[in-house]
Amino acid sequence: MPHKPPTKEELDRRKIIGIHEETITNVTSSDIPYHYPGEDHSWDIEKFRKGFSVEFHQNDPYEASFSLIGCDASIANAFRRIMIADIPTLAIETVFINNNTSVIQDEVLAHRLGLIPFKGGREGLHNFLKWWRKPADESQINSSYYDFNTVSLRLDVKCEHNENATPGEKDPTKLYKHAHVYARDIEFCPVGRQEKYFSGADAIAPVNPDILIAKLRPGQEISLSMHMHKGVGSDHAKFSPVATASYRLMPVISIERPILGKDAEKFARCFPPGVIGLEKVTKKEAAQKGSGYEGHEGELKAVVVDPMRDTVSRECLRHPEFKDKVKLGRRRDHFIFLVESTGQWESDAIFIEAVAHLKKKAKDLEKQVINMVR
Amino acid sequence: MSREQYQVPTNSWSGGFGGSGAPAPRDYAGDNNNTTMTYLCGDCAARVPLEKGAPIRCNKCGARVLYKERTKRMVQFEAR
Ligand SMILES: [Zn+2]
Repeated sequence: MPHKPPTKEELDRRKIIGIHEETITNVTSSDIPYHYPGEDHSWDIEKFRKGFSVEFHQNDPYEASFSLIGCDASIANAFRRIMIADIPTLAIETVFINNNTSVIQDEVLAHRLGLIPFKGGREGLHNFLKWWRKPADESQINSSYYDFNTVSLRLDVKCEHNENATPGEKDPTKLYKHAHVYARDIEFCPVGRQEKYFSGADAIAPVNPDILIAKLRPGQEISLSMHMHKGVGSDHAKFSPVATASYRLMPVISIERPILGKDAEKFARCFPPGVIGLEKVTKKEAAQKGSGYEGHEGELKAVVVDPMRDTVSRECLRHPEFKDKVKLGRRRDHFIFLVESTGQWESDAIFIEAVAHLKKKAKDLEKQVINMVR
Repeated sequence: MSREQYQVPTNSWSGGFGGSGAPAPRDYAGDNNNTTMTYLCGDCAARVPLEKGAPIRCNKCGARVLYKERTKRMVQFEAR
């Protein structure tokens, strides 16, 4: 029997992951060579180009949401992992504590400081600043710090009584000076060419100046200096440029048979707001034999408005009145990314950088493979 | 490298850090001589100088709990 090319319905079916009351079906992708006899599924750049698209839903400096449509999970996941663990950022790495008489321990204080996200001039951060490497000979460590690999910061805060506080004042922030130490109290000390790259609005400063670092009481003091270096998230989470970089698959809701009247309202309530809409059954639909709308003209029917907003809670599958009327699924090749930047990079630039990074990795691998074959 | 071994950078190359990275440890020498140690009162937080063999007691409020002062040396930590 000669092989028939797959119909459009069959191709769509292959792309949908089935979501049922208790089970998930059709989990693995099958668009690989030799899976379907007589079908050519070998990877081809032109085929990929035709089927691939990117769609932005939101693009704010610190939060971006976009869809990669028509690519494999391995690629989407590679981008996600690169964004989390391989894009370099600048963070506090060493803390030199001269004095810390606050109740927070030195180690904990140093750890807290390390986690504070910083921003600064893009040109300086991405091009001027280079990696700092610990010298093999530890005695040479002090001659390994240069303006192009180390950024110096200071934090000097002393808590004192506030003489001008009104008698009976209970609020420590009014009763004392510097009762709270915030990220904005950190002072940037530019060295060498750093003046050129990090001045004015481009100065190295915390993204969120209101991060509470420690609380002090009169007589207590924190006096320390810090060194920042470039690093990657695979080394420590503080270097990760993203707060979250995640994707989910596009939900698919297909209403197989009409859901009308009170049922339609209940059906809409099974989903987050905006996913299901209610429309009136038209005269044309009601006249159509076998559509299920006969004699229901003017009644409300449930329609899918925006499946992307669905959380796929499967609530609608719990109710017997919707049995066999609705099918839930997810599109295997539609990845909805959410990238939330910590502030050093623009969130869309993080993704672009991830693409460049994967390309570079692939090129490096190609070189290795060529060497291997030679 | 142990924390105490840390030396302040003294390299004065033009683009280098030339000791501006970590400031020199504060000089507390002269705060006390060999026989007198300063402690902190647990009750009133006053600085209490004590001679060797002197009764352990705050000279301001009479409290008997005294704490040792924190080290005057710079202490280095990794922010991890
Ligand atoms: Zn006392």
